Amino acid sequence: MSKILIELTVNGDLRELAVAPHERLLDVIRDGLGLTGTKEGCGEGECGACTVIMDGRPVNACLVLAPQAAGSEIITIEGLTADSTMSLLQTQFVERGAIQCGFCSPGMIMTAKALLDDNPEPTEEDVREALSGNLCRCTGYEKIVDAVLATAVLSAEEKAVDERFTTSSQGGDR
Amino acid sequence: MSTFSYIGKRVPPVDGEERASGRAEYVTDVRLPGMLFGKILRSPLAHARIVRMDTSAAEALPGVKAVATFADTPGIPFGPMTAFEDWYIFAKDKVRFIGEEMAAVAAIDEETAARALDLIEVEFEELPAVFDPVQAMDPGSPLVNGRERNVVMPFSLERGDVDTAFANADLVLEEDYYTNQVYQAYLETMAAVVRPETGGGFTMWLPIQIPNKSRLTYGKALGIRPEDIRVIKPFLGGAFGAKMEANIHLAAAILARKTGRPVRIVNTREEDIVAGNPRVPMHIHLKMAFMRDGRFAGKQVRIVAANGARTVYAPPIMATACYRVDTLYTFENVRAEGYAVDTNTVPTGAFRGFGNSQMTFALESMIDEAALELGLDPVEIRRRNAVPSGFVSIHGWEVGSSAHEQTLDNAANMSGLLSRRRSASDKGTLRRGLGMASCNHVSGNKAFFPTFDGSSSMFRMAEDGKVTVFHGECDMGQGQTTIFAQIAAEALGARLSDVTIAIVDTQVAPFGLGSFATRGTTIGGMGIKKGADAGKELILQAGAEHFGVDILALDTLESEVYVKADPSRRVPFGDLARHFMFTHGGMPMVAQGQYVPDTVAPDPKTKYGNVSPAYVFGAHVAEVEVDTETGEVRVVGYWASHDVGRAINPMQLEGQVQGGVAQGIGWTLMEDMITRDGRIMNPTLLDYRIPGSKDLPRVQCDFVEPVDPNGPFGAKGIGEPALNPVPAAIANAIYDAIGIRFKELPITAERVFTALNDREATSKSSAKGD
Repeated sequence: MSKILIELTVNGDLRELAVAPHERLLDVIRDGLGLTGTKEGCGEGECGACTVIMDGRPVNACLVLAPQAAGSEIITIEGLTADSTMSLLQTQFVERGAIQCGFCSPGMIMTAKALLDDNPEPTEEDVREALSGNLCRCTGYEKIVDAVLATAVLSAEEKAVDERFTTSSQGGDR
Repeated sequence: MSTFSYIGKRVPPVDGEERASGRAEYVTDVRLPGMLFGKILRSPLAHARIVRMDTSAAEALPGVKAVATFADTPGIPFGPMTAFEDWYIFAKDKVRFIGEEMAAVAAIDEETAARALDLIEVEFEELPAVFDPVQAMDPGSPLVNGRERNVVMPFSLERGDVDTAFANADLVLEEDYYTNQVYQAYLETMAAVVRPETGGGFTMWLPIQIPNKSRLTYGKALGIRPEDIRVIKPFLGGAFGAKMEANIHLAAAILARKTGRPVRIVNTREEDIVAGNPRVPMHIHLKMAFMRDGRFAGKQVRIVAANGARTVYAPPIMATACYRVDTLYTFENVRAEGYAVDTNTVPTGAFRGFGNSQMTFALESMIDEAALELGLDPVEIRRRNAVPSGFVSIHGWEVGSSAHEQTLDNAANMSGLLSRRRSASDKGTLRRGLGMASCNHVSGNKAFFPTFDGSSSMFRMAEDGKVTVFHGECDMGQGQTTIFAQIAAEALGARLSDVTIAIVDTQVAPFGLGSFATRGTTIGGMGIKKGADAGKELILQAGAEHFGVDILALDTLESEVYVKADPSRRVPFGDLARHFMFTHGGMPMVAQGQYVPDTVAPDPKTKYGNVSPAYVFGAHVAEVEVDTETGEVRVVGYWASHDVGRAINPMQLEGQVQGGVAQGIGWTLMEDMITRDGRIMNPTLLDYRIPGSKDLPRVQCDFVEPVDPNGPFGAKGIGEPALNPVPAAIANAIYDAIGIRFKELPITAERVFTALNDREATSKSSAKGD
């Protein structure tokens, strides 16, 4: 079976890859690129462990064929850690005990990131709705939901602080 | 010790950053040079003789490096328990359940291995099969493993004067209960990466709860010494009892031996469901005698439990169901009879609760029924029978601490159980109700592995004063690593950030029994504490030399040794450790400690003996909303109070309780391995639904801390008790809401709907009759 050459951007890096037509994006990420932070829990799109963000939307990487991802921009869990510092969302997952075995965590965090990017002030219902495709067997979801809500609150506070100081410094310039 | 630095604190998981960033390496992430990919050929039939198996076409497929069958194994029967060795790595001459391992292929990639499986030709001669354990005991039923009436292990026990108790009782209740087969549904499926080593041994990367103990079984199966097997357990993606011994590990080893290359096998989700170790289904016949004042005068139980087609842990699980609850209340007269029975179904094993959860459903349902009959409230009837601290049960179990009564009161108070039940607000077709159930459990179980009980650890302090702790237990995701780090740092007087808990590698770790029987915090934690105590002794000796004072004049805090009379005189661990190393030929400070509890392996005949160093108790209240139009039940409120001895980490305790309750809600209302003629009809996470984020209420947690005399800093376990009372609490709440008692799990919308309709039909026809 002849392979197809595709280009895609993963965590900011442009990658060129030869893939089989039926190869899954998940295998490209895990085996082709060695980004094993993205997990496989079922291979059928039921558990959400393999969630990555593709062009701004959360997708199950086990259900996306690699050629379908050609030209797209993918963010995996590894892409959230800049200069070895975790994002606020990841920090909240840790500090609020939202992680037990951790196997669902990367997918859960990617889904939550996509939600917060889209809706920076979600209600608890919004969060539970958004996470409903990501299964967790350890936590009962309570601390996960709280971590996402807390991230939203802290981001809003950070934003408010940023705005205030940006405004005053600009004011000082004039 | 008056104040703690780390005990009792909401310490975030110490390995949380690895897990949150995707850096954590699970077995499924391990890649080795030259590694091959394995796939297992599983039986499509429930019971059949293998007449012929032809692997030649599979072997000829380009990219296939080996095909292994029974002939490639030592052919030694083995099993997790030496008393019931009915396993083979690959089926010997017959298959006994759909999913049983028949052969395996190693190839250059998974796709090639999967294609090779299709090329293996097998000719079968079908045999009559039996699926229900009660039927399996009938004379004339097909024999799965040749055992008389298919009984793997009968169990019986009697204590007190049961007949007199029943004769003198004010109330006798007798009911049949059934608890179904459910799947642990951890997110990481079973897997193995196995590398053959020179000399015939193996290095095995396994997601396993018992990294050390499994080597005893695997050594036998592979015809080598356990010492020739090195097990490395990296991060583990959930287990809940299922990840004990598994043939997938051995299949990988056989392929690795045959090819001379590392082999990786990962279960698909479907394989994991059809050939995992699901919960033991049980038919429970329970009869209880009550006195008018609510005292439990006697209890008699008969249990028939499905073992599946080979023995994992169903016999001790059945036995646990027969008598562990006898230490939940102050029982004096009990009789139990139980059978673990072979069936042509997936072998059954441990699942959070280990039989105690099955029996708790029956017992706690019946207690509620009795309370109603006797005109007592659900808290009072339980309180009158609750086990107190210092109690010694009829089976010789010594309860060092119990806050059972307090948990009952707290759960009732938090939820407003007594004022709100029977009057919870109803809206339209929705009926609300509240129900209570309590539970007990062990914190370790000498009966599980009578060879020895206990735990140990080794501390190695590097020249920078930082400590690595080696142990042989197992973090399967429950947070043991963090608990161990807290205990180690507290006992040693080190900064938490200076303590690293090593992953389990049997080449360096002491022999630990692993995670089961809610033993990690109590027994494993004591092993850590003893090692830390020894480490402190060493560092204090070094400090005594440094300051030229007596060791008794010194103490440790925050990774420093200081003079108690003058705390300004202090020296960092690192200075002492460096000096030690350079004056000992480069040897770092190494300390070791062990905890050997005075538990007793129960007498094989009488079952008498104190099996655990500590016992836990708890009480739950569930609030449900039943839609009388659809039969759908939603849990809308949940309160859980647990006696934990001492809370080492309240945040992690909450996590355990919330997760246990979630699993219990799934079991009670949603989950069922639907099996027809031995075939599991719903082997995907789409059809086998576990609770999602929208299916669960918030769980309000409460922890009572009586400080146990035996646990580390007084701590007891939490894993299994968090789930045990859930099914009964929900069933009791449903009764409170609609007046119908469900004695069979799961309580699906369909069953509730049918029961409501049946009741309506009955009341209509009786109205007509009038």
